[in-house]
Amino acid sequence: MMNVDAEKRKIEDVLKEKGVYIGPTVGVSMLPMLKNRRDTIVVKPKTERLKRLDVALYKRGESYILHRVLEAVDGGYIIRGDNCYVDENVPEEAVIGVLTEFFRKDKHILCTDKKYIRYAEKRIKTYKSRRFFVRMKRNVRAFGGKVLRKLRLRK
Amino acid sequence: MKIKNGFVVREVGGESVVVPVGEMSKNFHGMINLNETGAFLWRFFSEDHSIDEGVAALLEEYDVDEAIARTDVEKFAETIEKNGFAE
Repeated sequence: MMNVDAEKRKIEDVLKEKGVYIGPTVGVSMLPMLKNRRDTIVVKPKTERLKRLDVALYKRGESYILHRVLEAVDGGYIIRGDNCYVDENVPEEAVIGVLTEFFRKDKHILCTDKKYIRYAEKRIKTYKSRRFFVRMKRNVRAFGGKVLRKLRLRK
Repeated sequence: MKIKNGFVVREVGGESVVVPVGEMSKNFHGMINLNETGAFLWRFFSEDHSIDEGVAALLEEYDVDEAIARTDVEKFAETIEKNGFAE
């Protein structure tokens, strides 16, 4: 009726044994699609080369990272989180799984869903404009901070 | 008995899995798989109910003998308590 495995296990071991990993999301790098510790991801083992728009689960040291494939290149992938502004070169062997579905709040979304694919395309297409606004915001903030500090020093 | 807040039941590929959310996901890193009855009872006991109410709910939902229903609910409650999922 209920099987409880309270041990913390490596995701790659769960994928090997059960053929699927279902768990919570941690982090903000895939916002606005996945919210930290609210949403649920369903990951299956990688059985073939991933392609553009796939969301790869890979390991960096002992950490697990779930980011989107921008391009499949020789020996690996160019990958970036939907809420990130830096591309990563990830070797093929570091990728252990691929996101196949997820729950956003209580909404169940398949990664083959047309609306979802449109979202993923848009997220990549609008990257440059988003990066521009993020940088501008950062610069305005830094400039404002500088001005405030100078004003305080004068007083 | 009431199951602590911080868990959600997800149906994936015909199976029910309990996933921790929010603060609970920082403390619980394991996996909980439920069959159909388990998923029903998990949802039922997400609100405060007695064992007798659980048995009655199970009898209403499934065509099952009362003795079996009681054993199931008691076994379920025991697992919940043992793993610290109950409030």
